[in-house]
Amino acid sequence: CAIVLCMDVGFAMSNSAPGEESPFEQAKKLMTMFVQRQVFAESKDEVSVVLFGTDGTENTLASGDQYQNITVQRHLMLPDFDLLEDIQNAIQPGSEQADFLDALVVCMDLLQKETVGKKYEKRHIEVFTDLSSPFSEDQLEIIIANLKKTGISLQFFLPFPVDDEEGSGDTGDGQHSDMYRNSFPRKGLTEQQKEGICMVRKLMFALEEEGGLDEIYTFRESLERLSMFKKIERKPMPWPCQLTIGSNLSIRIVAYKSLMEEKLKKSWTLVDAKTLKKEDVQKETVYCLNDDDETEVPKDDLVQGFRYGSDIVPFSKVDEEQMKYKTEAKCFSVLGFSRSSQVHHYMGNQVLKVFAAKDDEAAAVALSALIHALDELDVVAIVRYAYDRRSNPQVGVAFPCIKDAYECLIYVQLPYMEDLRQYMFSSLKNNKKYTPTEDQLSAVDSLIDSMSLIYEDDDGETTEDIFKTSKIPNPQFQRLYQCLQYKAFHPDKPLPSIEQHLLEMLETPQEVRERCQAPLEKIKALFPLKVAGKKKEQKTAQDIFKDNINPAENFCVLVRQKNANFKEVSQQLVNRIEQFLETKGLQYYMKSINCIRVFREEAIKLSEVQCFNDFLQALKEKVEDKTLADFWEILIQDGISLITKDEAKGSSVTSDEAKKVLLLHSYLSI
Amino acid sequence: MSEWMSYYKNEEDEEEEEYPEEVETGGEYKYAGRDSLIFLVDASKDMFEYYDDDEWTPFDMTIQCIRSVYTNKIISSDRDLLSVVFYGTEKHKNSVDFKHVYVLQELDNPGAKRVLELDKYKGDQGKVLFRESFGHNADYSLGEALWACCNLFSDVQLKMSHKRIMLFTNEDNPHGHDSTKAKLARTKAADLRETGIFLDLMHLKKPGGFDISLFYRDIINTAEDEDLGVHTDASSKLEDLMKKVRAKETKKRALVRLNFHLGKDLSLTVGVYSLVQKAFKPSPVKLYRETNEPVKTKTRTFNRETGSLLLPSDTKKAQTYGNRQIVLEKEEVEEVKRFDSPGLVLIGFKPLVMLKQHHYIKPSQFIYPEESFISGSTTLFNALLTKCLDKEVMALCRYTRCRNTPPRFVALVPQEEELDEQKVQTAPPGFHLIFLPYADDKRKIDFTEKVPANDEQVDKMKEIIQKLRFKYRNDSFENPVLQQHFRNLEALALDLIEPEQAEDLTQPKVEAMNHRLGDLVEQFKQLVYPPDYNPEGKAMKRKQGEGAGQTEKKPRMEVSKDELRSHVQKGTLGKFTVPVLKEACRVYGLKGGGKKQELLDALTEYFSKF
Repeated sequence: CAIVLCMDVGFAMSNSAPGEESPFEQAKKLMTMFVQRQVFAESKDEVSVVLFGTDGTENTLASGDQYQNITVQRHLMLPDFDLLEDIQNAIQPGSEQADFLDALVVCMDLLQKETVGKKYEKRHIEVFTDLSSPFSEDQLEIIIANLKKTGISLQFFLPFPVDDEEGSGDTGDGQHSDMYRNSFPRKGLTEQQKEGICMVRKLMFALEEEGGLDEIYTFRESLERLSMFKKIERKPMPWPCQLTIGSNLSIRIVAYKSLMEEKLKKSWTLVDAKTLKKEDVQKETVYCLNDDDETEVPKDDLVQGFRYGSDIVPFSKVDEEQMKYKTEAKCFSVLGFSRSSQVHHYMGNQVLKVFAAKDDEAAAVALSALIHALDELDVVAIVRYAYDRRSNPQVGVAFPCIKDAYECLIYVQLPYMEDLRQYMFSSLKNNKKYTPTEDQLSAVDSLIDSMSLIYEDDDGETTEDIFKTSKIPNPQFQRLYQCLQYKAFHPDKPLPSIEQHLLEMLETPQEVRERCQAPLEKIKALFPLKVAGKKKEQKTAQDIFKDNINPAENFCVLVRQKNANFKEVSQQLVNRIEQFLETKGLQYYMKSINCIRVFREEAIKLSEVQCFNDFLQALKEKVEDKTLADFWEILIQDGISLITKDEAKGSSVTSDEAKKVLLLHSYLSI
Repeated sequence: MSEWMSYYKNEEDEEEEEYPEEVETGGEYKYAGRDSLIFLVDASKDMFEYYDDDEWTPFDMTIQCIRSVYTNKIISSDRDLLSVVFYGTEKHKNSVDFKHVYVLQELDNPGAKRVLELDKYKGDQGKVLFRESFGHNADYSLGEALWACCNLFSDVQLKMSHKRIMLFTNEDNPHGHDSTKAKLARTKAADLRETGIFLDLMHLKKPGGFDISLFYRDIINTAEDEDLGVHTDASSKLEDLMKKVRAKETKKRALVRLNFHLGKDLSLTVGVYSLVQKAFKPSPVKLYRETNEPVKTKTRTFNRETGSLLLPSDTKKAQTYGNRQIVLEKEEVEEVKRFDSPGLVLIGFKPLVMLKQHHYIKPSQFIYPEESFISGSTTLFNALLTKCLDKEVMALCRYTRCRNTPPRFVALVPQEEELDEQKVQTAPPGFHLIFLPYADDKRKIDFTEKVPANDEQVDKMKEIIQKLRFKYRNDSFENPVLQQHFRNLEALALDLIEPEQAEDLTQPKVEAMNHRLGDLVEQFKQLVYPPDYNPEGKAMKRKQGEGAGQTEKKPRMEVSKDELRSHVQKGTLGKFTVPVLKEACRVYGLKGGGKKQELLDALTEYFSKF
């Protein structure tokens, strides 16, 4: 695509009602968001910027008094950070005015000249203006003819709506919501602006095939529904196949993905905090046995296995590949038909729309027969779907979708038996404790009425959804782009706060918010709700050690935690060691010694020497009381002693002393 | 093709991506301990009798049921502990030497050998083997059997989060003549309750009907939130028994508990559950070739220059656009995703009919009230549910699952509780939480122009459909990929020569279908396909008139003048499709433009004049 952003910077653009942003600022914001999306989504579209109403003139058509105060700010090229910076800093309000039709001609001329010899799928002009400047109609016919001839499409972004009195000619697929239109009374427009509106209407009507008035937006609705920029779109990829019913009936079809959660395309890389280079960060993976020494094993000596319940089964990649389930070929095969009410849960992460193959009337009629038969019987097809022979087969549902413009089957995956969790929940019906009173029910009833997101006309016949979530762009993208741009220019500053308009589009519409206040108060009064306590209690070290068979391991984990109190945690371990020693027996001795060894290691690492040495001396006294000499002997043989000053700074004990201190009196006396 | 391909790559990536999440929830679960389940099976003679003309004996049904739980557990949660205990046997085997109680399998992870062992007691041969191996004896004490189960739980060294006994029997009054034994059973059952062990009765069919009130009413316990199943009827079909067992076999766990904000300072608490969650093939374990023991994997991050280990604080995260690298702290990368604190925020209500069936992006979740954080939640939730059902509306909410997840809009769709004939819950009361797409998630597609079929063609297709109807249930299909994988493992684990071939339920039963359809397919083809048409052929080009260079699509349905006039008068012209209207405009030489409304206007104007 080639896109020209054509912005009015004439002096009137800076006028605004008190407390409101000027059209100039709004238009800049809109352009910023648009370019952000282009830059960060790494779009291949090329973007150019033409300003009109500038103090100077800079365009190839300018001569004499023609095409004055129009500046080509940027020629057609991939959008980048410079463009973002330019929009922020270089675009300033001018003190002149210029004819927006002239500006259009400059844009068209630029598009023609700068796209010569290159292939563009689409060429497009977006005009941001308040229509305050005088224009001359002379060239209108030529402009229209030219736009049509070249296939250049046009969108207008205005600070106010243009189609108050008349229906918008909204198609079933509706491009924008009336709510926004209605919230902009057309007050205080100048005669010039009214004339401008007429001109825009005339122009867009003439180009009607490209969408007519549907392509005129207000700044505000665009800010909230950025999806209106129709330029960033994925190209749909057709999946041709045959729908089969038994082995004798096939219908040629083509399917497209119509819905799938859009994810961030770029992932984060790890860089060194000092050099900011990713090459400086290296990763290494080693494999080791589960023995005491954690013996390392070379990668080549590894085989693959799988758990089968309690068993681990070695199962090489080659064998697995050979024995695994094989999907024979791609397919879209009907398994049978079922009542639509039998389908409760969907699975997977996408929706396909299935059409008849292109340019095949026979297929179209056959599929149409299926679609209408399903619709009239209120049944759905249960289908085996496999994308190709390398992919796993799915079982899914295909149901009919009949619209004015087209008809198709819609396919969604269904769960397999293995995917279901059959949970039971207690009945809410027969439990007196939780049965609401009539008053409570009627309070909820009025809350529901007051918070209706449906706008009903006075005649009660036409209803309109005033909160169409599927028209709202995912806020996480815009937020990320905002942060990335900010960080690109201010690497050392903290993240900016979320833009207000981004938050606003996620909120209940103002009118609804006001309407529901009274019913909410009523509910608050009628339903006793009490916070029953803290949501989640942090597990204490004691909880963790309780019932635990591997205290040494836990100890290691716990002392490494943030805010860990070494004394507290080690006391838990000490308690555990003492418990072990209560139960005499070699097995428990070994467990205790293991704990003590770990304790010692951690104490050295974390410079908690005193804590360990105190413990060991205290333990020695206990051992003497409790005739645990055999245990003590093992401990000494294992080389466990006080931590010496050679080992850790915090110690004052020499290695001789360390050994001596540990000798039991009973030994000494012998 | 690239996009379709990339989707499949994505799916794999996502599997990996989703693993940490699984582990996350699984992690919590691991921490909480393991689920343990004992199947306590009555092995008296009556259990081995056929009643009426049933296909299975009660004992057969029981064994098949247990086997299915075993194999399911191996796939879904192989860390859980299972055990099988018989009572009413001649021989005995248990830690306290109670007579007539035989512990066939101690509490342990399910494994291939255990499954095979169960298989031995299936069917008529199994019946004989059972009699030879264990015998039958009616002089058992149920209290002792429960006692033995209790001991099994306490012998386990691992931490257990959930303990449950499922009792399978078709004897409704086991100790009718022995009050001492009856009393012991009651006492023991009470003990179980106190120690937090659940006891469920899976009562099976017996002649004359199973009367719970005779004995079992006092024995079985039900947890606060499990007051179901007490009054269910005895299972006479395997399917029914399976349903009952399956409903209890897994402990339900909330993904998260969070506040549901109706207004600024008005909230209740709900638990969020996954009623469907994709079961993946487990990831492989790395083994040391010499000993087949699992190895530990350690990943170290270090500096290339110095070789020193890098702590998390020594690295940052970056993305590069063009030539510009943008660096963020790791915390900032998380912070970018943060909008709201976790919770559901009510936006408003919409009629249920406005939920678009095809607006789907990922599996739905389910919410049910949680009394323990905000008391009174259940009543308010119940009132909301009742009213939403009454008024046929859904609640639209903004949903933030964790601190650093961006918000998504969800529709809360009310569901009324449903029970089946056996009074087993088939649909729990609560709201389904349906994820709604954002504008970015929708894709424009290049649709094929429609060529509507005529009534005759549609009717023929209806006949075809009627021949191939079946009752879909969401557990109708097993995943053939997973089944094959586990059968392969089973074969390897048990040194079988060849893995058992799983029946692939996802394959169309072509022959049966063809047979059922008979001539209908030929009749339909004659109605819709030209004689020389071959749908299998590649890129069949439609025949075109030679004179006209332009492709001219002619709608199949041509509407007569009178018909049009009558529709104009009745105001029902809108039911025609755009191509039909376009064609009509063309016939009467009207310029209507491309929009339906414009076409309608042009035709209306034309017919009101003439």
